[in-house]
Amino acid sequence: MSNKIPYRVEHSPAYASLVLDVPANATVMVEASAMAAMDTCMKMKSKMQGGLMKGVGRMLGGESLFINEFTAEGKKGELYISPGVPGDVQHYYVTQECNLMVQSSAFVACTPGVEIDTKFQGFKGFFSGESLFLLKARGDGDFWFSSYGAIIEIPIAGDYIVDTGYIVAFEDTLEYSVENIGGLSFKGLKAGIFGGEGFVCRFSGAGRLWIQSHTIAPLINFLNPFRPTKSD
Amino acid sequence: MNIELLHQPESAIARVSLDSGEELVAQAGAMIAMSGSINASTTLRKGKGGGVMGGLKRMVAGESLFLSVFRSPTDGNTIWLAPKLIGDLLIYEMKGQDLIVQATSYLACSSEVNLDVGFQGFKSLFSGESLFWLTFSGQGLALLASFGGIYEIDVDGEYIVDTGHIVAFERSLNFSIAKASASLIGSFLGGEGFVCRFQGKGKVFCQTHNPGAFGSTVGSKLPPR
Repeated sequence: MSNKIPYRVEHSPAYASLVLDVPANATVMVEASAMAAMDTCMKMKSKMQGGLMKGVGRMLGGESLFINEFTAEGKKGELYISPGVPGDVQHYYVTQECNLMVQSSAFVACTPGVEIDTKFQGFKGFFSGESLFLLKARGDGDFWFSSYGAIIEIPIAGDYIVDTGYIVAFEDTLEYSVENIGGLSFKGLKAGIFGGEGFVCRFSGAGRLWIQSHTIAPLINFLNPFRPTKSD
Repeated sequence: MNIELLHQPESAIARVSLDSGEELVAQAGAMIAMSGSINASTTLRKGKGGGVMGGLKRMVAGESLFLSVFRSPTDGNTIWLAPKLIGDLLIYEMKGQDLIVQATSYLACSSEVNLDVGFQGFKSLFSGESLFWLTFSGQGLALLASFGGIYEIDVDGEYIVDTGHIVAFERSLNFSIAKASASLIGSFLGGEGFVCRFQGKGKVFCQTHNPGAFGSTVGSKLPPR
């Protein structure tokens, strides 16, 4: 049932927008609110939380995944999809042999042959974007994911360390474990800066990993001191 | 050590290749990913005058003096770095000349580069600003980051640059600080419109956007703290 959908990514890497040419009567699943423009033959159906997709949409500490279904009724239709933050979009074809693990906020779209499970990694840094909520994409079909900033593909053979906030996706042929590297931690120095917890993900084995050049947390931390102070 | 820049200018990211025994010193939290065998350690670099308290004051202003040192035990290791905010990167080769770098523009350098926190020439004059400066000397590669794009001005004679737009400049330049006239940008920058008047011969690296101006434009519209 693998129905590859023709697509193109425009304005990458800074302002990537995904354009799908959906064949007649084919359906795609799209991150809610990511639809930017479409042909009139495209019909949208809102998926309720916890509907077709097992476990998806359950609130996980503020993280949730709402998905809309778009079907090209009768004839082929064009669908423009823009992720919420400016960055890049990457395509991956999920197969039974190789599943894809994706940072939950990176989901953009997929074909119905792909099944998505949530996988919570059980830790969360305060205000630092260090939480690692992963989606597991299984089955057979197209999958698109997005980043804040550019996406870099790293082929891993051996041992690699990634700051948890910069992980976008990786093939599940890779072993991974979350750890705290003392040499990267600023806790002992009482720095009090966000994002210095030194939480990293260590990957080993063979497979492909995608990282993003930026995360949103430093922007929030940068803007925070500029907020007006309460005058009471 | 070899540095390669990708996705310039708006989402610039640097791929640094390290051989056996080579060391990279980087701004705290700049590491995105690296080979598993690289050793990381953390140091605190204090300013000459301010000491720890000076350091704390500076941190409040959004800057940390915390550095990570990455040491490669074997050949062929890589480490990825990017600026915290969206912007470009610049590789500057130190050949014995001094370079003055705006602290938020510092991303990384090879450990052969001497890095001093603070810069006497600006000290008292900049007390009102949340900027502080680093002095680089020695030999090796330095990696600088900008907010927006980077452009280079070859000064031969005199030139004026707003301090919020300075990424770095060569020490061969003489300079003086002046407060820009209030009518010009005073109100726009909340009364902190300092400009730098450079004299002589040397390079000034500028960023297309002023982080302070961006911060106050967006920040003032956010709910109060």
